Amino acid sequence: MNTNLLAVIINSTIRSTTPVLLAALGSAICSQVGVFNIALEGQILIGSFVGIVVNYYTGNVYVAVLCSVLAGAAISSLVSILQVKYRAADMVIGTSVNLLVSGLTSVLLYTILGVKGSFSNPALKPLPKIAIPVVKDIFFVGRVLEHLTFIDYLSYILAAAMFVYLYRTVQGFHVQSVGKNKEAAGSMGIKGLKIQMIAVLVSGALCGLGGAVLSMGQVTLFSENMSSGRGYIAMAAASMGQNQPILIIVSSLFFGFCQAIGVSLQNVIPSQLTLTIPYIATIIALSAFGNKKLKKK
Amino acid sequence: MFLELKNITKTFGPTIANDNVSFGLNKGEILAVIGENGAGKTTIMKILYGLNQADAGEIFMNGEKINIQSVQDAIAHGIGMVQQHFMLFNDYTVTENIVYGKEPAKSGFFDRKKARGIVQNLSSEYGLHIDPDLQVEECSVGMRQRIEILKVLYQDADIIIFDEPTAVLVPQEIDELLKTLKHLASLGKTIIIITHKLQEVMDVADRAVVMRKGQYVGERKICETDIKELSCLMVGKGIAARKIPKKTPGDKVLEVQDLYYESEGVPIIKGLSLHIQEGEIVGLAGVSGNGQTELIQCLTGLLHASKGKIELNGQDISQKGVREIRDTGCAHIPEDRYDFGCAVNADLEETALMGYEHQPVFSAHGIMNKRHSREFTMELLKKYSVKYSDIRDRAGALSGGNIQKLIVAREVEHQSKFLIAAEPTRGVDIGAQEFIHDQLVKKRNSGDGILLVSSELSEVLSLSDRVYVIYDGQIRGEFDRDQVDAEKAGYLMMGGHDEQV
Amino acid sequence: MNKFKSYIKQFAKIMIQPVVATLLGLLVGAVFILLSKENPIVIYRNMFEKSFFDPYYLTQTLTRATPIIICGIATAAAWRAGYINIGVEGQMITGAFAATIVAIYVPLPGFLLLPLSIVIGMIAGGLYASLVAVLNMKFNSSIVICTLMLNYVANYIASYLVSYPFKDHSGDGLSLMTKTIPKSTRFLQFSSSNTLNFGIILAVIVTILFYFMERKTVFGYESKMTGLNPGFARYGGVFERKVMLKTMALSGAIAAVAGICEIFGTKYRYTDNMFTSTSYAWTGLMAALIANLHPIGILAVSIFLSGLQVGGQAIQRSSSIPLQMSTVIQSSITLFVSAKLGMDFLKRRKLKKRQENGGVETS
Repeated sequence: MNTNLLAVIINSTIRSTTPVLLAALGSAICSQVGVFNIALEGQILIGSFVGIVVNYYTGNVYVAVLCSVLAGAAISSLVSILQVKYRAADMVIGTSVNLLVSGLTSVLLYTILGVKGSFSNPALKPLPKIAIPVVKDIFFVGRVLEHLTFIDYLSYILAAAMFVYLYRTVQGFHVQSVGKNKEAAGSMGIKGLKIQMIAVLVSGALCGLGGAVLSMGQVTLFSENMSSGRGYIAMAAASMGQNQPILIIVSSLFFGFCQAIGVSLQNVIPSQLTLTIPYIATIIALSAFGNKKLKKK
Repeated sequence: MFLELKNITKTFGPTIANDNVSFGLNKGEILAVIGENGAGKTTIMKILYGLNQADAGEIFMNGEKINIQSVQDAIAHGIGMVQQHFMLFNDYTVTENIVYGKEPAKSGFFDRKKARGIVQNLSSEYGLHIDPDLQVEECSVGMRQRIEILKVLYQDADIIIFDEPTAVLVPQEIDELLKTLKHLASLGKTIIIITHKLQEVMDVADRAVVMRKGQYVGERKICETDIKELSCLMVGKGIAARKIPKKTPGDKVLEVQDLYYESEGVPIIKGLSLHIQEGEIVGLAGVSGNGQTELIQCLTGLLHASKGKIELNGQDISQKGVREIRDTGCAHIPEDRYDFGCAVNADLEETALMGYEHQPVFSAHGIMNKRHSREFTMELLKKYSVKYSDIRDRAGALSGGNIQKLIVAREVEHQSKFLIAAEPTRGVDIGAQEFIHDQLVKKRNSGDGILLVSSELSEVLSLSDRVYVIYDGQIRGEFDRDQVDAEKAGYLMMGGHDEQV
Repeated sequence: MNKFKSYIKQFAKIMIQPVVATLLGLLVGAVFILLSKENPIVIYRNMFEKSFFDPYYLTQTLTRATPIIICGIATAAAWRAGYINIGVEGQMITGAFAATIVAIYVPLPGFLLLPLSIVIGMIAGGLYASLVAVLNMKFNSSIVICTLMLNYVANYIASYLVSYPFKDHSGDGLSLMTKTIPKSTRFLQFSSSNTLNFGIILAVIVTILFYFMERKTVFGYESKMTGLNPGFARYGGVFERKVMLKTMALSGAIAAVAGICEIFGTKYRYTDNMFTSTSYAWTGLMAALIANLHPIGILAVSIFLSGLQVGGQAIQRSSSIPLQMSTVIQSSITLFVSAKLGMDFLKRRKLKKRQENGGVETS
């Protein structure tokens, strides 16, 4: 096997994985506290959009990323308040939020940026690609780590941090316990509702970050509905990874790989069919790893 | 007195759960709080543990009034409770469960090693054997209970309340527990045990406080009393039985032989046999939680028994599905009307129709005959005096008693040969109770068989032609109505052994 | 007279939520319009003129409403039984594509070919949806995620099929679409000056049939009870697995009809992305949520949403308001309705709790 091709595929996998990984971490934190949040798709999309808009008007990509994170958290507050606090039906709220973000971003795309369909502009600043001195010249490894942004690296750090927080600290222990047995947690004075609401906001922030790397990482543009179902794929990745951050890295890489394979097979198989690979993989993964913790419906 | 409860009153809507209850506790004693279902024992202990707030009354500790508004307050006063439904995290280890809420930490990081050490010390100090590294999921019920006890001891409780602690244990574990209780008392802890199992009370308690229907009935020193006296206090004097004409029962409608049911490896029904004939009401007396729910579910097809024969109208239904069993001639008034008996957002007609929808009267080729179902619903509502404002009301808009009447109406009007009536008058006002009882008797008089399962002993005794007493998944006694009274039944319900059997 | 009064009362009770939500949604839209430096009243008046009050635009609205209505019904069919199907788009694509291919390539006379195409299309859509039901029954995989994934799969596979094997090579060959269906299979068009066709009648028929199924069939009753309280349904002897399969199959079949109306009534061929770019399925979902799954409500709301879209499209030429404004308005309405649903839900839980505590406390 051509080592260069292998390196390219691994690199492509890593780049495709990041948004899914971040969103999957968001899904995991919600599931860990016992909240079923399906508004991830909208949380990612709003992040992608706000990032591009802020990028355009400030010319500063870091401020844009920060705003993406805040936007994700802001939209997730709808879920936090309506679904967690006021117990509205999770499917209905989540679906409505996704639809709202889809429509809102399309409208604002025109209202603010004056275009339809997609927006790209030389004035937009892409996320800088990190080139690690010395490493970048190492055969194979250099190729694998090409064109990665700080968010790509950050996502793995966040996964590790989440793992340490949840599984090693006292606070994380309490957070997890809310999802395991809210009643038992409450019986010892742990405020389950507050923790659930905050977890949703965290998932919003993580998805917003994922949206930022989606619209400003490998490409620098926003196109309508560019999240393309990643929010749902992330849910499947989280479920496959048993909501455990380190395992989620593995399952997210799997989906990233499916996407990368799809791209590389485009010369052999028509692109429309390769594009189905991640989605079919998700269905197969869900069936194979039918996690009883994931809601039946 | 170490602890005193004075004039505690607690109501839930129209129900008075605790009615001006007062009693005290001495340091280092084991006090048993005993009574039937609905006596109010758990309610008052939950008030002591801060899970409920009393409407009136006060609590004194060492003569000083104390205020318990939350579980944290109770714990702060050294009160701990081991509840009937364990509050454990199945995925966490024994150690993690025990130290939860007060974890030893090093700059925010959970010091699991230290916790393990603490737990092991605690375990040996109190003689409560546990494996600190096992996941709770893998622990036996007995060990889970010890975890709950250690939890409470870790929080430095001086008073420990146990709510029906032996309900889930096998005999060897029960012996272990009773030894543990005595040991804890000898170490200076004060124990309150809520139970209906009188043999255990005799074995382990120093004193017993008896409650009935929310009221304090009396107390006895264990050394000065016996099971017969206690059970008498618990169930009260006999109730005037209805004047039901004696009927000669006909063929067997239901036959259950040697029924066994296991849930997750734990035997719940342990070799149960009974039969019901046409034209009789057979009562099943027992404190809830002794296998009645599972028995009913096996009979109706919601669960499948592991072993044993069930015959309905001569047909073997032990592995059949719900619809088939219903069609064979079994109707069912469920013990929980909101979980199984109705859907709160369905309308009255939809509620009345459940179980009938595929019958020829109400549907042909899959199309429903709305006129018939509307007529049927109106008939039921009228006949059973169900109070409603609009026919299109949601079921949830009706009061508990009225929903129950509608459910009873639905199941009785099935005209099936066999009816299971589980807790048919739970949470229902006196007038409705009388009415429902009348309907059951009417059905019996028309030649059908009824299995009446109720934790209300008075209900069972006043309506039944024959009575079975269930305890711990087995039949402990079978009597004709003139052979049994509250005292006898109560005694068996609480685990007593019939010498004649 | 009393019966009539109570009907009105009931109807008003159901309608008040969506009406309030709609007004709030229009308010949100007004804010956006103000931000674009236009006058909301003028804009809205124009929008409603150009969607409902002008005969030509009214036909546009109704034509566009056709697939939306049917998608809304398809969604409601599944959701009311408690199965959250968000894959109506994929089911619509599958069914419509299958029907189109049959119509183009099977040599039969029109009066046989049309019904055959429709039936094949419905079977295809139904099977596509039942697949998810089977996966859920066997592997406990989430219906939400699987139906959504299958949206993308269906669209991409159709895209492939229309780019290669079934591509229409006549003309410039640049457009990705199939050949047109034979004239004999096309729906009756009412007038040559607009697009209104038999499809709208079919949509109304589907709505009425669904209403009938809901209220008057055993299946409708059992699936509704399963959605309201699965324990109650089980206790009464309902076969949950059978209900799930039938419900999902029905949902998929209805979705297929939506796509068939669009192709056989208006477009006469399958074009790449024709259903994803128009968002019929998602608009239908919104209509179902706003109307609280009530079929007549779905019919009305779908027409309203369609009008918003048509009106939005019309005024975008005469003002600076983008047509996606209608998307914002309709999503806001949906969110407001969901929020209200939440409040309702909370009230009902409080009521239930109060009733529970009125019952006997064990021990």
